[in-house]
Amino acid sequence: MTATPVLETRGLGRRFGGLKAVDDVSFSVPEGQVLGVIGPNGAGKSTFINLVTGHIRPTSGQVLIEGRDLAGAKPWSIAHAGVSRTFQIVKPFRGMSVRENVAVGILYGRKGTSRMSQALEQADEVLAEVGMSKLGDRAPGGLSVADARRLEFAKALALRPRLLLLDEVMAGLRHSEIEPSLELIKSLRERGLTIIVVEHVMKAILAISDQVLVLHQGKVLTSGEPRTVLSDPRVIEAYLGQRYVQRREGGRS
Amino acid sequence: MTPETETEPTGSDQPNGTEQPSGTDQPTGVEAAELGAGVRSSAEPVWRRWLPFGLLLLGVLVMLGAQSQLYSGQERTVAAIFMFVALAQGWNIIGGFTGYASFGQVVFFGVGGYFTAVAMSHWGFNFWVSLVVSGLVAAAFGALIGLPLLRLRGHYFAIATLGVAEGMREVVTNVPGLTGGGAGISVPTVGKDATTAYLGNDGFYLLFLALAALSVLVAILVARNKFGFALRAINQDEDAAAAMGINTTRAKVSAFALSGLVTGLVGSTYAFQQVTIFPQRLFDVDITVLMVVMVVIGGSGTVLGPLLGAVALQFLSEYLRRNFTEVHTFILGAIIIAAVVLLPQGAVNYVREARQSGEWSLLANVRRYRL
Repeated sequence: MTATPVLETRGLGRRFGGLKAVDDVSFSVPEGQVLGVIGPNGAGKSTFINLVTGHIRPTSGQVLIEGRDLAGAKPWSIAHAGVSRTFQIVKPFRGMSVRENVAVGILYGRKGTSRMSQALEQADEVLAEVGMSKLGDRAPGGLSVADARRLEFAKALALRPRLLLLDEVMAGLRHSEIEPSLELIKSLRERGLTIIVVEHVMKAILAISDQVLVLHQGKVLTSGEPRTVLSDPRVIEAYLGQRYVQRREGGRS
Repeated sequence: MTPETETEPTGSDQPNGTEQPSGTDQPTGVEAAELGAGVRSSAEPVWRRWLPFGLLLLGVLVMLGAQSQLYSGQERTVAAIFMFVALAQGWNIIGGFTGYASFGQVVFFGVGGYFTAVAMSHWGFNFWVSLVVSGLVAAAFGALIGLPLLRLRGHYFAIATLGVAEGMREVVTNVPGLTGGGAGISVPTVGKDATTAYLGNDGFYLLFLALAALSVLVAILVARNKFGFALRAINQDEDAAAAMGINTTRAKVSAFALSGLVTGLVGSTYAFQQVTIFPQRLFDVDITVLMVVMVVIGGSGTVLGPLLGAVALQFLSEYLRRNFTEVHTFILGAIIIAAVVLLPQGAVNYVREARQSGEWSLLANVRRYRL
């Protein structure tokens, strides 16, 4: 582990008029760790990701990527700095094949590949990594929900990032479909990738996170080791609510 | 994947005989049919890579051969078709590939035309120098207005570009010392003031043919290279494109400048051909509308679409003008409406999709694309 965290934010904030969507968020992710970000709807999770990746400009604070302040930088600069992301609502290039979708990231997000044919070959390697090698020629419009989410994964991995931000990659998946995603995230982590996972699926957060950050009304409510954080009464009250408590109780009886 | 050079065309042993990539993962017919327009396989045979260039060369040779068979009136008509092919391809770069519908595209035509007229009559430039510089000026103008305007999306971009074109016409009208104002400006074509001898029907036929060929060549290159790939990505999802490392600002501004370059070259040639030009004509919004209609009817974001759209619409318009003089614009309008309703994705994209899915029904097509 290096002294410089892969990502550190200092007092990161964004106002939309009078609303502070993200307010004074400071934290850091050490290299090779998986950080789970949770919080109720409207807590500022997606805005937070958009601030880090440059899709929204912060109104205050710093975003340090490997020690370099890139707050307010354009999304492509952030991508070139080694940060890639998935989108909560999948964003495939609909007029391209699955393979070409991935090739875009190889051509523009990676260094050293500028030939189209080479990029398409490398796209097949990325597709194999996420278990989509048979789907390269398909149109994204014809994919299942799970495969469409996996394509988001593949597109993010195409950049060979050092930091990967996953915005609800498991939303809308069945239980049987969540398992492969978890395995994939674990295998990426074993290869030394630093990952931030925004997720509603608690099982997933518990299974893969080294640390959990809880956002509530744009602020950091608490952070720390997953089980400790999830049993924190403030967290249960603010975010998990009665339903999760009841289900846990129900599961035990 | 196997390298392209070692790949043999496998189209013949595919069960459905449609374009199929050869590689490690053969898709089924159903999977291939799901592919939308513009999807290329990774391992196309070598001959197919060069096919568009070959067809372009053939087309140019045929048009060169046809020239001697045309009367001077026909020659002018065909030259006008070439002009609109180049204009449509110019619009296609920004409006088709990139998905930014420029409704002020005529501004590049006007800027190119006026730069040529002013340079030739006031500054003693010869035409060929004026032509090149006019193209570059139009490209620079595109980059300049593109920087602020390409931040706008959809209708806002369309309206803003329309405003620029209208505004530019007023500017040109209001500096009579340089541009002749509303009374127009004439390029010297005879006597000792003529910097370049007038090209005549034959010369302009060849020049417009060259511009049309150049515009198609640019479209072929854009359609298959890395830059065009970025434009398509921006067209299909700009946020995702930026997240994947594409400098969307640079790509869009470059596309707009390239589009301006092609359109400016055409405007320059048009000004010389007309000898006397007026702001009302050189910044006429109708020219923009024609470019848009030609591209949309033919198939935007394709190489062949704008070419076919321009040829078809010019032929049709000319035919109707000759035979139904009184109501030709009315009939033309009705035909355009019918075409857009029945083939909203354009003829080329319709045929491509129909070949892949086997569904040729126009009614089904209307249903699929209805708003």
